[in-house]
Amino acid sequence: MLHKIQIDKLEVNFHGEEILKDLSFSVPAGQMFAIIGPNGAGKSTLLKSILGLVRPQHGSVSIAGDPKKTVIGYVPQSRIIDEETPINAKDFVSLGLISRMVPWLSRQEKKGLKEIMRFTDTERLAKKPIGKLSGGERQRVFLAQALVRRPDLLLLDESTANLDPDAQVRMMALVKKAVKEWGVTVLFISHDLRLVRDYADQVLIIARGFYKTGATETILDDAALLKQVFELPAEDAGSGRDPLNASEMPLSASSS
Amino acid sequence: MTMFQYDFIQHAFIAGTLIALMCGVMGVFIIARSLSFIAHTISHIGFAGAAFAAFAGIDPLIGLLAFTLLGAAGVGQMGVRMFRRDASVSVILSLSLGLGIFFLSIGNIQGNYSRTLLFGSVVGIDMADIWQIVAITFFVLLVLAAGYRWLKFDSFDQVGAQAAGLPIRMISIGFLLLMAVATSVTVQIVGALLVFALMTVPAAAARLYTQSIAGMIVLSSLIAVLSVWFGLVAGYYTSAPVSFFIVAFDAACYFLGTVYHRLSDRRQIAA
Repeated sequence: MLHKIQIDKLEVNFHGEEILKDLSFSVPAGQMFAIIGPNGAGKSTLLKSILGLVRPQHGSVSIAGDPKKTVIGYVPQSRIIDEETPINAKDFVSLGLISRMVPWLSRQEKKGLKEIMRFTDTERLAKKPIGKLSGGERQRVFLAQALVRRPDLLLLDESTANLDPDAQVRMMALVKKAVKEWGVTVLFISHDLRLVRDYADQVLIIARGFYKTGATETILDDAALLKQVFELPAEDAGSGRDPLNASEMPLSASSS
Repeated sequence: MTMFQYDFIQHAFIAGTLIALMCGVMGVFIIARSLSFIAHTISHIGFAGAAFAAFAGIDPLIGLLAFTLLGAAGVGQMGVRMFRRDASVSVILSLSLGLGIFFLSIGNIQGNYSRTLLFGSVVGIDMADIWQIVAITFFVLLVLAAGYRWLKFDSFDQVGAQAAGLPIRMISIGFLLLMAVATSVTVQIVGALLVFALMTVPAAAARLYTQSIAGMIVLSSLIAVLSVWFGLVAGYYTSAPVSFFIVAFDAACYFLGTVYHRLSDRRQIAA
């Protein structure tokens, strides 16, 4: 199987504190790969290492293909957007178009912009100020900006965390559609194990000094593993409940 | 007889229009990057530079450029974030003002010159000045056009720009240096105290009327140019300071903008 990302013995320290240690795994091309684990496990640091924003002390991150041509899209959990920010959604999405130097957009870029906004269902928001959009609308606009350059790799850092369940599903369905239609490889961090079960092909479960990768069902059905990583009482880990999101709601697959 | 029969008025209109265009465009990014007070500080550093040039007997533009570029590089090096929230801005601003007064004093410079440096002067702009302004305005607008997409991304969405691999530190320092160049030429016409107004108020007003970046740039430039024209005409007929009319026009656009913004917000909520 062709791998899009190869992480090899990655070690990242911050102010002398070890965040990631000896982490190795690979992400197959064109798949959705989830990263789960408790707060402080180094999930966001891992994404930042892939983005090249954090320099590892040891190890390497290799992305298949020409590094100069590889386009990475990134959607964070949230951005600090002032309600009074006057920029509209269309302008915000077009910020991602940086491959040319001239100030104006070419006909092809305008067409691509329109297509992405239609794809992410943000066309009707085009003229609305970004600060006035709802959380779900805003995240779709952020996704549209990440997709507008047609990335090879899409990184989502808890980008559905602040959304209601419907908006979460809508967002993840769009991501899945991008994977199917364009073959984008997706790495997403989520605390919502229902979403992980529904959308991830593979999972990396990570805690300080520990990690494991595997097929989604293999990881999520391993109650002992979840208990160990999330430090939950055995009955919670095995109950099929979402261990992090205040969840009285059962996990969709394991609760059956 | 019209006011345009005088050479100095023609020169003032050409110089003022070019500077207003440049400040109008720069302002959109200054506001988006929350650099208003840094712009104010750089104009004061410029005052110290011009005063030093007068004391040393060199071209004021050289003094202005030397001081503002050094100041901007220093701010960029130490990190814009620190300057946005720290008292450092007021310390540097006060120090620059003090240095300016010091140079003017030990150089035994006349009071008129000090007034010109602080409040600007549209009288006595000759063709050499105009060519200088044309060259600098062209340079600044060209750099802004070439770096527009990167600057726009970094100014309106730094998280996205950084993730997309843009060199955000280089963009930040580059923009500060460009601001220093623009300030240096503007100080000579509108004065150190009013550069700040021309660089920020039209842009702050423009964002109240439009939600697109291109719209903001066009409107901000238009407000800046109209304010300069209004200032020159009103100043000519009333003999009151041109700068006052420029700032009054810009401020009026801003306050009308706040009313318009509130009304359109209410209309949207009602809809």
